[in-house]
Amino acid sequence: MNPALSLLIGLALLILLLLVWVLRDPRKRARLESDLDSAEELGQRHVNYFPQVRQALAAEDLVFLSSRGSSQLVRRMRKERRKIALDYLSCLRGDFLRLWRLARVIASMSPRVGAAEELARFRLGLTFSLHYELIRIKFVLGFAPLPELGSLSDAVSRLSIRLETAMNNLGERAALAAKLASSLDDGHGLDTP
Amino acid sequence: MSGFPLSVLWLWALSVLTQLFVLGLLFLKGNFRKLPYFTFYVGLNICQASFLLFVYTHSWNHPATPGTLAWTSECLTLIAQALATIEILEITLRPYQGIWGLGWRALTVTSGTVVLLVVLAARGHWAWARWFELDRGYHLTFATALIACLLLVRYYSIPVPPAYKMLLGGFCFYSCSEIIVNTLLQAYFKKDFFVHAAAWQLLTLSCFIAALVVWAVALRKPLPIENRKPASPSDADYQRLSLEINEDLRRLNEKLLRLWKLEGREQ
Repeated sequence: MNPALSLLIGLALLILLLLVWVLRDPRKRARLESDLDSAEELGQRHVNYFPQVRQALAAEDLVFLSSRGSSQLVRRMRKERRKIALDYLSCLRGDFLRLWRLARVIASMSPRVGAAEELARFRLGLTFSLHYELIRIKFVLGFAPLPELGSLSDAVSRLSIRLETAMNNLGERAALAAKLASSLDDGHGLDTP
Repeated sequence: MSGFPLSVLWLWALSVLTQLFVLGLLFLKGNFRKLPYFTFYVGLNICQASFLLFVYTHSWNHPATPGTLAWTSECLTLIAQALATIEILEITLRPYQGIWGLGWRALTVTSGTVVLLVVLAARGHWAWARWFELDRGYHLTFATALIACLLLVRYYSIPVPPAYKMLLGGFCFYSCSEIIVNTLLQAYFKKDFFVHAAAWQLLTLSCFIAALVVWAVALRKPLPIENRKPASPSDADYQRLSLEINEDLRRLNEKLLRLWKLEGREQ
C-alpha cells in the first residue's frame, strides 16, 4: 500500500478514535461537581494556603538540621518537602484549569465569539500544560526556587480574584453558567478535559 | 442486479428494511417535525434503493450507464446527508450563537483544507475508480468537518442530548468506514473490479446498517425539546473578560516559563 493510502486509513482511524473520545459518557460526576463547587467559591483556593506551604518549605529548617549533622533526617525532610511542592503545584494547576474552563463557559454564552481570542486562550492553556509538566519534572528531580513558586501562586490568585469580580458582575448569568457546566455529567452532555 | 452475490442482495434488503424501520420511528414518535432534513435523507435513501433496483434490473445499451446513474443518485443522498448533519448541529448549537458562528468558521477552514488535500491526492492514475475517489473525498471532508465541530462542542462543554450524539456519531462512523473501505479496496482489489464492487457493496452496506441501528436506538423515543436558553453576557462583557483573562493566563505562563529558565540557569 502506498504512503498516501496508508495516511488516509490512518486519518480515518484517528477520526474514529476522536469520535469515541468525544462522545464517551462522562464518568466522574462527583469529581466534576466538586470542581465546579470549588470554582464557584473562588475565594477558597489552594493559592490561599501559600503562606503555610512557604513555611513548610522554609530553608532555615534544612540549614539547622544540616548543622546538627542529622543527614538521614535532612534527606527525609527534603523528600517530604518535594512531595509537598509537587502536591501544591498540582493544586495550582487544578486552579488554573478550573479558571480556564470558566472562561470557556463565559465564551460559550456569548452571542459573538472572537476566533482570535479563543485561539489565543487555547494556545495559552496548551503552553501552561507544557510548562507545568516541565516544571513538575524539575520538582521531581530537585527543588524549584521558592520565590518563583510564590509568584506563580500570586498570579493564580490574581486571576481568581479578577474572575470572581467578573462573575459577580455577571450575577445570575454566572450561576447559570455553572449550572450549564454541571449539566455535563448528568448524561446529557459531553465530558470535558 | 443478478451480477451481485446473494449475500449482497440480502444485505441490501436488510438495509432497506432497517431504513423503513427508522423512517417509521421518525413518523411514529413525531421526530420528523424536529428533524425534517434527516427524515428527508432517510426517505431519499429508500427512494435511491428503488431507483437502483430499476437501474440494475433494466438492460442498458452502454455498460457504463448503470454505474453512472447509481453514482449520480449517490451524489444526491450525500448532499442530503450533509444537510441532515447541519440540521442536527444547528439544533444542538442554536442556543449558543457565538459558538455556532465560530463553528461555521472552523468548518469552512477545515473543509477547505481537506478538499484541497483530496484534490491534490486524487490526481491519481486509477481512472476506473474516479467515483470511489470522489466518494472517499466527500466522506473525508464530511468526517473531518463533523469531528472538528464535535471537538469544539466538547471544548466549550456544551451539553448535547444523547440522542443527537448518537445521530451525529452514526454519520461520522459511516463516513470513516467508507474512507477505510474505499482505500483498502483500492489498494488490494484494483485489478479485479467485479470482486471489488461486490466487496465494496458488502462492506459499505454492513457499515450503513450498523449506523441505521444506532439511529433507530436514538430515535426510539421522542427527541428532547430544545428549549435551552443560556443567558448571554453582552458582546462587550465577553470582549472585556476575554482580553483580561487571556492577559492573566499569559502572565501566568510567563511566570511558569521564568521558573523553568531560572532552574535551567541554576543547573
